[in-house]
Amino acid sequence: MKTWVEKYRPQKFTDIFGQDEAIEKIKTYFEKFPKVKKKALLLGGSPGIGKTTIVHVLAKETGAEIFELNASDLRNKSSMTLKLKPVLEQVSLFNTKKLILVDEADGVSGTEDRGGLSELISLIEKSPYPIICTANDAWGKKVSDLRKKCELIELKEISPAIIKQILKNILEKENKEVTLNVLNKIAINSRGDVRSAINDLEAASSLDNPEEIEIYERNKKEDIFQVMKKIFQEKADEKMLGLFDKVDMPLDEIMLWMEENISKVYSGIELAKAYQRLANADLFKGRIYKQQYWRFLVYENIFTSYGISASKEDEKKGFYKYTKPERILKIWLNNVKHAKRKTIAEKYSKKTHVGMKRIMSEWNEVKNILKNPLVQKELKLEVEEIAYVMKY
Amino acid sequence: MTSEIWTEKYRPKTYEEVAGQEDIVKRVKALTNSMNIPHLMFAGPAGTGKSTLALIVVKDLFGESWRDNYLELNASDERGINIVRDKVKSFARTKSLGNVPFKVIFLDEADALTPEAQQALRRTMENYSSTCRFILSCNYQSKIIDPIQSRCAVFRFKLLEKKDVTKVMKLIAEKEKLEIDEKGFEALYEGSEGDCRRSVNLMQSTAAVSPKITKDLVNTIISEAKPKDIKLVLEYALSGDFEGSKNKLLDVMLKESISGQDVIKSIQKEIWNLTIEPEVKVKLTEKTGEIEFRIVEGSDPFVQLLSLLASFVLAGLGK
Repeated sequence: MKTWVEKYRPQKFTDIFGQDEAIEKIKTYFEKFPKVKKKALLLGGSPGIGKTTIVHVLAKETGAEIFELNASDLRNKSSMTLKLKPVLEQVSLFNTKKLILVDEADGVSGTEDRGGLSELISLIEKSPYPIICTANDAWGKKVSDLRKKCELIELKEISPAIIKQILKNILEKENKEVTLNVLNKIAINSRGDVRSAINDLEAASSLDNPEEIEIYERNKKEDIFQVMKKIFQEKADEKMLGLFDKVDMPLDEIMLWMEENISKVYSGIELAKAYQRLANADLFKGRIYKQQYWRFLVYENIFTSYGISASKEDEKKGFYKYTKPERILKIWLNNVKHAKRKTIAEKYSKKTHVGMKRIMSEWNEVKNILKNPLVQKELKLEVEEIAYVMKY
Repeated sequence: MTSEIWTEKYRPKTYEEVAGQEDIVKRVKALTNSMNIPHLMFAGPAGTGKSTLALIVVKDLFGESWRDNYLELNASDERGINIVRDKVKSFARTKSLGNVPFKVIFLDEADALTPEAQQALRRTMENYSSTCRFILSCNYQSKIIDPIQSRCAVFRFKLLEKKDVTKVMKLIAEKEKLEIDEKGFEALYEGSEGDCRRSVNLMQSTAAVSPKITKDLVNTIISEAKPKDIKLVLEYALSGDFEGSKNKLLDVMLKESISGQDVIKSIQKEIWNLTIEPEVKVKLTEKTGEIEFRIVEGSDPFVQLLSLLASFVLAGLGK
């Protein structure tokens, strides 16, 4: 038995809702090919909004033969060439049109699919047929080279109202019913992902009492910028407690992002409160390490998300420029710069029966002594170490 | 070969030369004469003669061959007791040279060891007691676990009196042909907070600039050596410029390579120099103490300091 998602996959453009603009652009590209500015398309957008479906419908409606590469195919350089070369070189028997779909181009793994993307880029330049790529994160670093070669079309997330309509149509055809309450819940929680909404609906309709279904929020990946925007700008909400689970980043690193960006949005009392809460989170982090008592993680998380969010009085509308954390980089650069200090302190320490750490912390009191050439000779300082001493 | 570093060049070589600490010197000397010392523990502030006395003891015991029979370790540098144990083991394995039946290990800053590490150290002391004597030095006796204390003869070093430190400095000044007036000596003593080793370092640092040392010159060197920008960090915060304050803080910490604990120490002192209400001073000091506690406890110093700066911003706003 087919799942509803398969069963109701759109077969023609009129079946697709909410993507009219993108569909027009794609049609135009396909018709004009190869007289187009950029030889390939990159469809960007979150999962379940119809990227792959649109391409399949395009093939169907134009009668083109479709060749698909997706995440399940190994896509390193040789296998990519192996699969695509014949397609590109042979003329179709019945002179039909061809269309190449590279699905989930951003899912190409960095190690196993080595060289895959660069091979794709060179194929694009030579290809006599249209190539359409899809990606969830069209702005990601992985596809940045590819993006330059492609015309980027970003698909919109589907609004809950349209999703509700799609779900209603399916229920009608299936002759099933769920309450309006359940329908609303599914539509809202799907967050623009039609596929997940249909899956949830199928699950709900099979229950005796659909009201009971707990439709948890779909695990949609969010990037750190979206998360910061929510926390810093939106009203504090319990849902924020789960925000960090959706970011592909350890909490320690998230805290660095927070540290860097609190002052970009908050000021005055809000700012002070937010930093105090971040410090509280850090306090619990330290306690976790020390006591190996992992329940403290709850507090670390609450302070970092909800706590920082609740530091402000009102929502913050408008655009704020968030930046990458720089502290760790600065510390690293500084350590490189002052690496000699350590080796010098080590030599000085052996001579004077004083701990290295103490020497480092009293550096300013001994550095003048180290400028004496006789002392340098006595400590057997090397040329670079002498240069360092004279400079700092 | 004499050293060019004055703290070494003028380090006392006999019991008689040690500044201050008369009672301790007398008792330690008596112990050493018996040629069988117990484990020793020297507790007291920095720069009061702990390492010096330990060196004198080993030289007195072993004479010329002291280097072969003596191992010096620094607990705050040697990370983890395992390294200490390994070094102790390989050192204690071979027999001592000369008439003394044991070797001596000097473990400096022993209070930097965690209580767990100290437990391990205690075992090590027991296991090698027939071939090794330990001399432990620490700033705070209370940070050493009782079982270790009870195995040692404990000596509490007092902070050197001003006259003792000045005597040391005057001796060196004469030998190095420096010209220093009373005010200059006073500044050197005050600047190093009674730490004799630091006074001598400070004197050599100042002498590197000019052999004629005055109070002003000393103070110039001191203020250069101190993280002077901390005050600026606080002033930015009080004026409400958090971002400026934060950037300055990171800048200072990196440029001067000072730790979070050094910063918080400076902040605590600097609060007195700020033009704020007495009530606010108390509140900020309270907050500073809490933050210092957190840093000592192992939190991220920078994040904690940011939250302290946030408190200064609030104080500046009158909240």
